[in-house]
Amino acid sequence: MKFAYYPGCSARSTCAELNAATHLVAAKLGLELLQLESATCTGARELRAIDPPGFLTLNVRILALAESHGLPLMTICNTCTLNVLDAHAAFASDRELAAAINVKLAEEGLHYSGRTRISHFLWVLHENIGEQRLRELVVNPLTNMTIAAFYGCHITRPPSQYGFVDSRNNIALEKLAEVLGCQPIDYSGRNECCGFHTAAHDERVAIKLTGQHIQAAKTGGAQAMVTPCPLCHTILDGFQREIEKDVGHKLGMPILHLPQLVGLALGLSPDELNVDRHMVPVGALKAYAANAPKEPHR
Amino acid sequence: MVTAATAPTPTAMDARRLGQIERRDTLAARNSCLAPGEDIAVRIRRWDEATRQAAYQDFKVPYQKWMRVLDVLNWIAENEATDLAYRWFCGSKMCGTCAVRINGREVLACWEAAEPVMTIEPLRNLPVIRDLVVDRAPYEKKIASFEPWIERREPYPSFPEPLNHKQMKDASKALDCISCMCCYSTCPVIGLGNLTDFAGPAPLVQLAQTALDPRNDPDKIKRSLALTGIFHCVSCYKCEEVCPASIPIVGRIIEPLKAKAVLLNPGMAKHSSALRDIVAARGWVEPSALVLRVQGLRVLARMPRAIRLLVRGKINPLKTLFGIRTAAAEAARRILRTGVAK
Repeated sequence: MKFAYYPGCSARSTCAELNAATHLVAAKLGLELLQLESATCTGARELRAIDPPGFLTLNVRILALAESHGLPLMTICNTCTLNVLDAHAAFASDRELAAAINVKLAEEGLHYSGRTRISHFLWVLHENIGEQRLRELVVNPLTNMTIAAFYGCHITRPPSQYGFVDSRNNIALEKLAEVLGCQPIDYSGRNECCGFHTAAHDERVAIKLTGQHIQAAKTGGAQAMVTPCPLCHTILDGFQREIEKDVGHKLGMPILHLPQLVGLALGLSPDELNVDRHMVPVGALKAYAANAPKEPHR
Repeated sequence: MVTAATAPTPTAMDARRLGQIERRDTLAARNSCLAPGEDIAVRIRRWDEATRQAAYQDFKVPYQKWMRVLDVLNWIAENEATDLAYRWFCGSKMCGTCAVRINGREVLACWEAAEPVMTIEPLRNLPVIRDLVVDRAPYEKKIASFEPWIERREPYPSFPEPLNHKQMKDASKALDCISCMCCYSTCPVIGLGNLTDFAGPAPLVQLAQTALDPRNDPDKIKRSLALTGIFHCVSCYKCEEVCPASIPIVGRIIEPLKAKAVLLNPGMAKHSSALRDIVAARGWVEPSALVLRVQGLRVLARMPRAIRLLVRGKINPLKTLFGIRTAAAEAARRILRTGVAK
């Protein structure tokens, strides 16, 4: 199975370990990834608000790049995923707009006809690999590892895109964690917001918002949290020291990127998955990798 | 032609909606989770006058066909707790007075089917007057400060005045608001109290009714927007999730208001403009470059953090300062057509 792969800005800079882990895990899963090197940023939250035509063109261009290879698009960032989904929806619902975007794309010989299927890595695991195949591939079941899933907003809201009456009912991460052998825990922060999108100009919001969620995960007995979004990771991991200062005590909660958790279960070592690049040490989790067979990855 | 992009996936499952069936997360399932005669276990957060504290009180209510949360409250008020305080008027999703929280989710009592087990609480982020009744005054005061009316300086171009649906598309969405404040209760930034000057989703929707109207005076819109703290919105979409009027609050209210702010009050939107410039110049965002542009010398106060990030290889000063010519830069520059400073 081959995908056009869009890592997004975060996974190519502050969360480079996520991009590397995705490539390693994809190889283990038999997914071939064609990284779209000339793809731009999807515009985060800012561009879609202040420059809608620019936002739509950049995103449709990414979809057109995937289409030019005849491949579905795989993303690993929640915000990027919602951006391309929204741009696709806008493109598909307005013929005039679609034509105008294609005129712009034609300047570099690109064209989008609206056919690219968009899938986040989490959905690829469920839909394209499937629970059964994944169980077969798990060589190092993470038995008894208690995991708190932190979804992030843009993979489960808005309802117009995902259809949940109550987004707390999303269980895609917990189901996956079970397949990997983990014990997912229930806690109040699962579907809450990390506050990333205001952090560049005022990090206090993100720090205040997330302390209670990490604390709830810890109280619920989680050994680690896992997130499908590098932006959530940046706050939960990168700001954890500031968050600890705010809540007034040590949290020490390791935060894993989704492909890192999958990678551990598939037999990749913590070193290969670059877990030491995180700000919060994942020390205790390394024990789970001890029994993994030492086969070199492809 | 069937391309790889259109080929069916091996399984027919939709991973985006995992949990909707197991957790009965559809309107049909929610409306049919009780049979007549079954008991509903209700727990209501009440104000106890004796202890001057909030306390939960339990009730058992016999389910009757098509019972809504409001019917449950009416049954309790008639049979078990005649002093229960709750608000409602129209009973048909029009007046916006009956909003409460059911099991941690904001709903209109008149528009939500009763559930087998319900904890009913007043809305958050507003003072509680008694039981389920909250004080609407802080919300109304905020709206009044925005001067929510249309001002005209120029004489009307003609009468009737030309105005089409396209010009009014976002303002007309805002006019669907029934002021129930569900969104105000669920907003995590409002939940942080006075930490920011963020006005919150409901007041912004009220502002949008006139601020997104093309007839309004730009200077007045500028004055109102300056009071909103709108760039503190974290874009979590919780407001859209709970809105009983299905207003796309982030996409059709907050984002168009942000676009207005960039035009009228560029100083408010430093972060957004910086991101746009960086994408236009580099093709994608180097997060440390963005922080440096937005925070300027303030980053000096956070040097210990920067050093920690540097040690872990999370930031690269060369990339931050000089950027790199990415394969995406040319396309971004052409599409965004902005000044190509660094």
